[in-house]
Amino acid sequence: MRVFKLKRDNFIPFMKGLGKFGELWGPVKKGDHHVYAQASPEQFDLKAIRTIVPAKKFFLPKKSTILKFKNNEWTEHFDVKKRVIFGLHPCDIHALNIYHKFYTRLYPDPYYLKNREATLIVGLSCLPDEHCFCNLTDTETVNEGFDLFLTDLEDRFLVWIGSPKGDEVLKLVKDLIEETTQEDIDEYVAWRKKRRSMFQVSLDLEGMPEILTFNYDSPIWEEMGDACLSCGTCTMVCPTCTCFDIEDEYDIRTDEMDRQRFWYSCVFREYSMVAGGHNFREARSERLKLWYTHKLVGFMSEYGSPACVGCGRCVVSCPVDINVLTVAKALLKEKPDAFWARMASLKNMEVEHA
Amino acid sequence: MGKPKVGIYGLTGCAGDQLNIINCEDELLKIFDIFEIESFVMASRAKNENVELDVAFVEGSVSTEKDLEHLMEIRKKSKILVAIGHCAVFGGVQSMFMGKEPWIERYKKVYGKENAVTLTPPLEPKPLAAYVKVDAVLPGCPIEKEPFLKLAGKLAHGIVPKVPDFPVCAECKWKENECLLLKGQLCLGPLTNSGCGAICPSMNIPCIGCWGPIAKENWESEALLLLEKGYKPDEIVKRFAIFGGTERAELLKNFLESHQKQESGK
Ligand code: SF4
Ligand code: SF4
Ligand code: SF4
Ligand code: SF4
Repeated sequence: MRVFKLKRDNFIPFMKGLGKFGELWGPVKKGDHHVYAQASPEQFDLKAIRTIVPAKKFFLPKKSTILKFKNNEWTEHFDVKKRVIFGLHPCDIHALNIYHKFYTRLYPDPYYLKNREATLIVGLSCLPDEHCFCNLTDTETVNEGFDLFLTDLEDRFLVWIGSPKGDEVLKLVKDLIEETTQEDIDEYVAWRKKRRSMFQVSLDLEGMPEILTFNYDSPIWEEMGDACLSCGTCTMVCPTCTCFDIEDEYDIRTDEMDRQRFWYSCVFREYSMVAGGHNFREARSERLKLWYTHKLVGFMSEYGSPACVGCGRCVVSCPVDINVLTVAKALLKEKPDAFWARMASLKNMEVEHA
Repeated sequence: MGKPKVGIYGLTGCAGDQLNIINCEDELLKIFDIFEIESFVMASRAKNENVELDVAFVEGSVSTEKDLEHLMEIRKKSKILVAIGHCAVFGGVQSMFMGKEPWIERYKKVYGKENAVTLTPPLEPKPLAAYVKVDAVLPGCPIEKEPFLKLAGKLAHGIVPKVPDFPVCAECKWKENECLLLKGQLCLGPLTNSGCGAICPSMNIPCIGCWGPIAKENWESEALLLLEKGYKPDEIVKRFAIFGGTERAELLKNFLESHQKQESGK
């Protein structure tokens, strides 16, 4: 992989230069959180850790029209924009690689492919917070799946080239980058060491596929099911959740039928409902079990690695603390600090006094 | 296939749902074009009550014997009956949980005596489904234009639409909002039918549930979560009750009772 150096002072012109490729998107602040938004590079927050919703929104939009019908004819509908997406961390890029496998392997998805083709991915290094655990999912560094990747060494960046496309666009900003020196390399090595020492989560995640298989009938799932609100947040924010649903919408104004595809979730009640009304996973506990076994076991056998990249989004998003870490802890018989674990006592209190 | 024959009716409610159909100004002609409107008292002089209907839209709750008679007539002559608006789908605010005493006691408190309303005998307000088969629903208080037009589009093509089975939170995440519940606010997004586009949380205002309780809602988990966050049982019950309709009322009653016992047991 070729690598160059970019002085911090040149960051804004560098991004603006890349902006000739397409719309510029990157992490900007929203309240106490971050979202990927179209913005000028001055607005990008390079300290952003995780966006509320991951970059999958660019490749499988939250809601989009995929076909249009009119007068008994249908046409495919694409809404593809050339975009530079800046600020994906290693976990995000790993997640995108999983997405890529899913949407290209058996049934190549033309919408995904066109969106991917039109996108320039510019990764950005990060320093973990207390919820990051990519070190436990083997996703803390990344070698493929991006076009360019910036390592932030404070007064300078290292710019890694990850694809022929990246190589090509770098020509747009060639006057802003320089060759690296031994000092840059030394700093990079020291930075890596520092970053590695910052991870705070410790847990045996590697054993999860077996542990989950053994615990398929564990009463833990019931307890979690009692607490789960089926709100769908965990799946919406997870960068490796791929599910969607499809619905036809008829517009009486134009006489057109739009076939809409939108993010859907295995935690929703009708996800496993089939014609005739039978539901294979009527119970919330069954649906959660599906989520976790698919993510941590099913993916493993199909794609060779689990589908959790340690981004921590589920950890910070579930209102009742059901997430990869608490579930793993519970299955490992460590007591997780989770609402669903505390809920039992809240409930007992009610019964005792009733 | 001829145009579907349609009737639009109101029982007890604020008539806001019918009004919002009329408010589809630009599309109103189109609606009258794709459907044969047989009865729509609020908008049209046409009033053919003796024809069989393909689709009947009914707003309002059943709150009087007259309502009930009217509903039965509509049901009898309609192939597809669509409940529109919170009152018709869930019972409306008039059916919310207001206290533990039987409905007639509360009625007397308001009207002074048992037979105060003389035009038609009153009934405890209930949603349409308490009495008849309802084929499709469109929640909202009131219903909104875009969801109504989509519903009308489907019906015009002979598709019986179903209500989304997922809550406001999903749409809220599509909008990439910060979660108000996580910030400690009393947001009813997880328990509420989606369809509104999560407009309230998108404006930083917690959802109060006007699209009604989602089927198989896990209200108990959220109630306990809010207790843990420091809300008082009656605060929770009050908020859950507003758009909770008849079904949630019973659950809330038990919840409150067990917590009051708990308080007095201390
Ligand atoms: S696990 Fe949490 S985030 Fe996921 S659906 Fe249940 S309550 Fe919502
Ligand atoms: S399961 Fe949680 S931590 Fe893992 S990738 Fe999904 S959101 Fe991130
Ligand atoms: S703000 Fe309300 S609607 Fe939005 S995700 Fe949180 S609980 Fe759900
Ligand atoms: S967010 Fe909740 S209260 Fe607001 S319109 Fe939607 S359903 Fe009603």
